[in-house]
Amino acid sequence: MNTRAQLLDLIDRSLSGSIVSEQDFDMLHVAKAVKRIVKKYDIRLTQPDRFLSTDEDLLDRVWEAAVEFLAECGIYSKDTGRVIQYTKEEILALTATVPSEILMGEGRDQVRCVARKPDSKNPCLNLGGCVGVPVPNQYFEPIMISYLQEPLVDMTSVPTMERFRGRDIRTKSPLEIYAAYDEATRMKEIARRCGREGIHYHGISISVSDIGQLAAGSFMDKRDGMALGVISEFKVDNTILNKLTYGILRDQIIAAYANPIYGGLSGGLPGQILLLCAGMIMCSALLGSETPGTTPTHPMMFCSTTKELLQATNIAFSALAKHSHIMPRLTGTQVGGCGTKTLLYEVLTTAIVATKSGFAYLKGPRPATGVISGVCSGLEARFQGEALHAAAKIDYEQAEHIMQLAYEKYKDDLPNKPYGHPFWEVYDVDTVKPKQFWLDMYNEVKAEAISWGLPMDQL
Amino acid sequence: MRDIFNELSEAIADGDEELSVEEAKKLIDAGVAPLEIFGECIQETLNDVGEKFSRLEIFLPDLMMAGDAVTAVQNELLPLMKGGENRQTQGRVVIGTAYGDLHDIGKNMVSLMLEVNGFEVKDLGVNVGANDFVNAARDFNADIIAISALMLPTMPYMQDTIEIVNADPAMRSKTKIMVGGGPISQAWADEVGADGYSDDAMDAVNMAKKLMEQLKAAS
Repeated sequence: MNTRAQLLDLIDRSLSGSIVSEQDFDMLHVAKAVKRIVKKYDIRLTQPDRFLSTDEDLLDRVWEAAVEFLAECGIYSKDTGRVIQYTKEEILALTATVPSEILMGEGRDQVRCVARKPDSKNPCLNLGGCVGVPVPNQYFEPIMISYLQEPLVDMTSVPTMERFRGRDIRTKSPLEIYAAYDEATRMKEIARRCGREGIHYHGISISVSDIGQLAAGSFMDKRDGMALGVISEFKVDNTILNKLTYGILRDQIIAAYANPIYGGLSGGLPGQILLLCAGMIMCSALLGSETPGTTPTHPMMFCSTTKELLQATNIAFSALAKHSHIMPRLTGTQVGGCGTKTLLYEVLTTAIVATKSGFAYLKGPRPATGVISGVCSGLEARFQGEALHAAAKIDYEQAEHIMQLAYEKYKDDLPNKPYGHPFWEVYDVDTVKPKQFWLDMYNEVKAEAISWGLPMDQL
Repeated sequence: MRDIFNELSEAIADGDEELSVEEAKKLIDAGVAPLEIFGECIQETLNDVGEKFSRLEIFLPDLMMAGDAVTAVQNELLPLMKGGENRQTQGRVVIGTAYGDLHDIGKNMVSLMLEVNGFEVKDLGVNVGANDFVNAARDFNADIIAISALMLPTMPYMQDTIEIVNADPAMRSKTKIMVGGGPISQAWADEVGADGYSDDAMDAVNMAKKLMEQLKAAS
């Protein structure tokens, strides 16, 4: 894929596409198109009791529907008020050219990311990191060490610093540039001290606008991933296109993501399935992202671990894996926080659905919905890595059985928002070791998962 | 709700603009006062629609279409209202996403839920500057400024809005400020001097009602 030529073509289309008001785009291009296409292709949950679908015909329909939807909807350019549109044929041709393998990170920390299928025996990679979780500055380093010291963490991302040298960080201001520089250079320095200087780093977390990314991006390695969030649903602006242009010209890995909101413009579960699949084709084939990602979000629970979202994720990404070699990334957002069994059970269902839906790698966990100050630790990333390795060893039906058992364990807890404890209450901050109660909890849930048939003890 | 309102109620809930206007006209022709239509039918229907959305029995597009149907009926009925016969509103709200933040679906949910619950809402969209909130609130004679943010580094701009309003005691005494969004918490809202915080769209409606009660009690 010639990404530079493709980028220029994308920019041209953003300047020449049909002019549509944003309101009409939302309603006509997204909401009504979703409704029509869901009906046309009969997208629905054909096995409502299962988490992992076995309906092959449904997967074929979802793929066709997603391509048709993307061709009809296009991508809205907020700055030009135009729709960037591609035909079905163009979308399919571009999808065929996306890479099916990529090296992430450098040196001995480098990992090979490959397109997986739901029955692949190679484990889904583990990007262990608490992206977006706000943390007080003084805990940034021990929190990062808690992840980097875990051997099963293949790649990482960083939390978001709440303040920078005593100041609130303001986007689109000099403080964003300074904080972005600080994040990238500190992350690299901490990784070097942990002996993991080449680990793939997904950032820059603090950079909401383009200026932080552009100013501090040169402190990232080319084999690091540049985070690039598409605006829900199917919208970009010049901030996003500026980041994309910079990343492509640097030959950096583009880690674009699209997070459809359940109950939002997608409507219910069938629309969510459609937008998840179409969103990944958009990020990968049209925006040139080697590893497109998503964290589907529940509008009331703010997590990705409700039953309907796990079902939607499985169907959408199994369809994607069946019909393409796109290498998607799932970001798991859990309700449970550190020091709760709820978090660990949610990590189990997330890891299994990622493995058995053909994801290339899993990012997270993001405990306590990723928004509670300091609630993240390396131990749940260890647990996630073990679950990913184990899930690749079991068959589809065993996976379904374990998902049922794990989900039963946490489903009633979600509305109670068990946000748990911040890092400094579950880890000894000086030694960066988990406290005994958190370690005991981890061991108990791990033993339980092993008793259910998930071989987390055989890595 | 009386049976005579069933057809209009159904048309609004279905988001059918044309049919809603047609049914509203039939009611007017039958001698029903516009205020009765609003008070007895439209408000109750919208409350029901809002409740269904909060239970995820219906979704954002359904809410948007019901809102459009009501706007169409409103445009038809407003010229027919006699002087002084105004539709009772719960309050006036300007809403938007903080400067630097482009996420709007959560904010749109809140905006629509406020509307369907009887508030008059001016939606300023995304990436709204601190001063722009204040100027819009003055122009709209807003009771409440509602600001949403999803990204941590956009939160200080919410605080800027609060400080600008605080600097004008006359405005502060008659304007409440509520905040919400992913990284926002009650503790942060308290710290920066916001009057209200809400966790989700339904919660936002309850908070807005509570703030209106406080304003009424103070006036």
